[in-house]
Amino acid sequence: MRARGREFLPALMFLLPFLLVLAVFFVYAGVRAVYFSFTDYDLFNAPQWVGLANYRALFSDDRFLTALRNSLLFAAIVTTFQTIGALLSASAVNRRVRGMTFFRSAFYMPAVTSSVVITLIFLWLFQRLGGINYLITAVSRNAPIILTFVIVMVLAQGLQVVVERWRLRRRLRGAGQQRTVSLLDPALLAVALVAAIIVTTALALLGYLAPREVQNVAINWLQTRQEVPASFPFWLRVPLPLAAIMFQNIFTTIPTYMLMFLAAMQDVPRSQYEAAALDGANSVQQFFYVTVPALQPVTFLVVTLGLIGTLQMFDQVAIFGSSVPLQSVITLAYFVYNRMFPGAQLPEVGFASAAAMFLALLTLIIVTLQRTVLRAEGER
Amino acid sequence: MSASAAMRQERERWEAQRRWARAGFAYLLLILFSLLFLGPLLFAALSSVKTDPLGYPPTLLSPQLAPANWAAAAKLGREGAKAPLWGGFAPGANVNVELTYFVPQGTEAAAPTATVPRRRPGGGLGAVQQIDYAADYAVVAPVVEVGRRAGVHGADAQAGEFVTYRVTVTYPGAGPKVDRLPLDVESASRAIEFVSSTLPPTRLERLGLVASFQAVTPGALGYLLGNYRRVFTEARSVTTGDSLFMRWTWNTFVYAFFRVVVTLFIATTAGYALARLRFPGRNLMFLLVLFAQMVPMQVLFISNYLVLRDGIWGLSSLWGQATLLNSLPGLLFVTALNAGPVFIMKQFFESIPREVEESAMMDGASYWSRFSRVVLPMARPALGALIILSFQGAWNDFFWPLVVLTTPEDIKTLPIGLLTFRNVYGNSGDWGLILAGAILSALPVIVLFIVFQRYFMEGVTYGGGKE
Repeated sequence: MRARGREFLPALMFLLPFLLVLAVFFVYAGVRAVYFSFTDYDLFNAPQWVGLANYRALFSDDRFLTALRNSLLFAAIVTTFQTIGALLSASAVNRRVRGMTFFRSAFYMPAVTSSVVITLIFLWLFQRLGGINYLITAVSRNAPIILTFVIVMVLAQGLQVVVERWRLRRRLRGAGQQRTVSLLDPALLAVALVAAIIVTTALALLGYLAPREVQNVAINWLQTRQEVPASFPFWLRVPLPLAAIMFQNIFTTIPTYMLMFLAAMQDVPRSQYEAAALDGANSVQQFFYVTVPALQPVTFLVVTLGLIGTLQMFDQVAIFGSSVPLQSVITLAYFVYNRMFPGAQLPEVGFASAAAMFLALLTLIIVTLQRTVLRAEGER
Repeated sequence: MSASAAMRQERERWEAQRRWARAGFAYLLLILFSLLFLGPLLFAALSSVKTDPLGYPPTLLSPQLAPANWAAAAKLGREGAKAPLWGGFAPGANVNVELTYFVPQGTEAAAPTATVPRRRPGGGLGAVQQIDYAADYAVVAPVVEVGRRAGVHGADAQAGEFVTYRVTVTYPGAGPKVDRLPLDVESASRAIEFVSSTLPPTRLERLGLVASFQAVTPGALGYLLGNYRRVFTEARSVTTGDSLFMRWTWNTFVYAFFRVVVTLFIATTAGYALARLRFPGRNLMFLLVLFAQMVPMQVLFISNYLVLRDGIWGLSSLWGQATLLNSLPGLLFVTALNAGPVFIMKQFFESIPREVEESAMMDGASYWSRFSRVVLPMARPALGALIILSFQGAWNDFFWPLVVLTTPEDIKTLPIGLLTFRNVYGNSGDWGLILAGAILSALPVIVLFIVFQRYFMEGVTYGGGKE
C-alpha cells in the first residue's frame, strides 16, 4: 500500500502526455459525440437539445438506409470470402519448403502500401477499357482451350489413380503394408499436367481448338447505379461499384489473413495429421477434422478484424469519390463524414453524431454476436 | 527375404518420386500465388511508363520498355538539347526524324507534311502554368526523301515501295529551352501508310493519317520515365509555383518523422507506467487503452475536428496559430491518440525481468533514470519495430490528413495529394500520371519493407499469435 502512494506521482508524470491526449481526443470527444447526437447543431448556431429526434430521423433517411444496407452487405460478403479465401490459400501453400520466407514476404508486400495506392490501381483496372474487363474477355475467349486443358488433366489423373490403385493392391497383397494412392497424388498429377499440356497444344496446333469469337467485355463498373444482374443470388445483389470495392477488398486483405492462418498452421503438430492418416483420413478429411479445429483461435481473430475493418470501411469510398455515384458505394462511415462536410450545404453535426453512435454500437453488437456464436461453435 | 528387400526398395523409390513431385507443386503454387497477389502492383508499375495505360488491349510491355527506343530517344535528345538523358528543345537544335511509309504499286509517292503543333502537355493542374511553346521557336525544314526500296507489306502482302523521309526541325537564334518538342507528321494521302519511324509516335491520329509525337526529343530517361517526370513538373502550386508532388513528399516525410517521435515518446512513457508502476486507477486506465482501440474514428472525429478548429481552446494562439486545421501540428496532436503502441510497449516492458531494474533501484536512482538508463536501452528491438511500423502507418495515413489538411494543395501529404491527382487527371483519362504518382509514393514503404521485412512479418504473426 505504501508503494502505491509513493508511485502515484511518478506514474502521473509518466502518463501525463498520454493522459492529456486521451482526455481531449478520446474521452472528451466521445462524450461530446454522445451529446451532439441528441442535439440539432450546424456549427454556426448553438446546439439545440432535440432528444431522440436524430436517431428517429436516421431510419427515415433514404441515404442512411442505403448506407446501412451497403455496409451490412459489404461486411457480410467481404468477411466471408476473405476468411474462406485466406484459409484455402493458406492450406494450399502450407508446405515446409526452402525459401518460404521469401514467398511470405512476396505475398505481404502489397499490404504495406497505402490504401490510396492500391485503390487507385484498382480504379484503373476497373475502367471500361481496363484490365478487369480485358481479363474477363480473355477468359471467355479462351474458354474452349482452358476447358479442354482441365478436362484432359482430370481424366488423365483419374485414369492413373485407378490403374495405380489396382496395381498397388495386387502388389501389396499379403505384404502387410498399408499404402494407398491419393486422388491428388503429386507424382501422378505431374504426369497429368504434362499430358494436358501436350494434348491441348497438339489440338490447338492441329486446328481443332481455337479461341471463340466473343465481343469485348465492356462492363461499366463505376459510373453506374446498376446492380449485379438478377442471375446472382439475392445476397450478392449489390451495386456494381460496390461489388468492385468488395472485389478489391477481398483480394487485398487475403494475403494478410492468409499469413496469420499460415503462422498458426505451422504450429499444428505433425503428429495430429499422422494420427489422422493412420485412421484412414484423406487430405480433405484431415483439413476439416484437424486443420480447421486447430485454427479456431486464429479464425476468431480474423473474423473479428475482418468485421471491424469492413463495417467501418471508408477509404475506398472516399477514393472512388466523384468517379462513382455516391449512393452506389456509400457506407455508414462515409455517411458520417459526408454529413459533417456536405460541401455546399450546412453541416448536420447532430445527425452525423447519431449516425456515428449507431455505427459504433452496430460494430460492438456484431462483433460480440460473432464471438458468442464462434465460441459456442468451438466448444461444441 | 530378398522379396521384402525389393519391396522396401520399391517403396523408397515410390516415396522419393512423391517427395520431388510434392516439392515441385509446392513451388509452382507459391509462384502462382505470388504472381496473383503481386499482379496488380506489378502490372501497374509496368503500365505506369506507357503514354496511355488505358490503351486496349492492355499489354505488359510497351514501346517505352524497348532498349532500341531508348537509344533513338537518346540520339534525338542529344540533337534537341544536347541532353541524351532528359531531352528538350534548346537553341541550336537540329533534330532529324526519319519516317518510313509504304506506297502501294500504282500510287504516286508524295512527301508527308510536318508541323510543330502548339499543344499543351496534359490538362489538369498543368493548365494554369505559363509555359513556352516549342511551336514559337521551331523551324521545320522541307521534308526530304532519303531512301526507297521495293517490298511487300500487310497481311495481304501487297507489293509496293517503302519510302523513307527525313523531317528536320531546327531552333535558330536565341530563346528559352523548351521541355518538349511535339511533332505531327501527316501522310500525303490515305493510300500511303505509315510504317515506322526513328522513335515510335505517341499515337496515330485520324485513322492512321497523322503520326503524332508528344515529344520527339525526349532523351532516354525522358522517354522511359515521361510520366514520372510529369508527376513532378506538371502539377504546380498556384501560389509558389513549386512542384506539388515534391511538397507532398516532403510533407509526408516530415509528418511521418514527427509522428514516429511522438509515438515513441508517448508509447514508452505510458507503457512503462502501465507495466511497472502501481497507482490507483491503473486497471481503469488499462481498460481505457483497450477501449480506445475499438471506438471507430467516425465517432471521435466530429469533436476532434472542432477542437482543432478552435486551436485546442485557444491554446495554439500561444504560438501564433489561431486554428490547428490545415497545419502539421494539428495533425500530430490528433494522431497522438494511438493506443496500439502503448499496449505493445506495455507488453514488452512486462517481459523484462524486474530484477534488472531492482539492482539499479538499490543505488537510489530516480524513476526517470531507471526508465531512461536501464529499461529503454533494453527495449531497443521493440523500439526498432515500433519506429518502422509507425513510420509506415504515418506514410500511408489517409483519414486524418483528409480531415485536417484541406487547403491549400501545398500542405497535403502524399495519400491525399494522390486523391487530388485522381480528381484532376482521372476524369480526363490521364492515368499514366496517376499510376506513376501512385508507384512513386509507394516506393519508400516498399524499400522500407524490403530492408526491414522481419519487423513487418513479426507484426503479422504477432497478430496471429494473440488470443
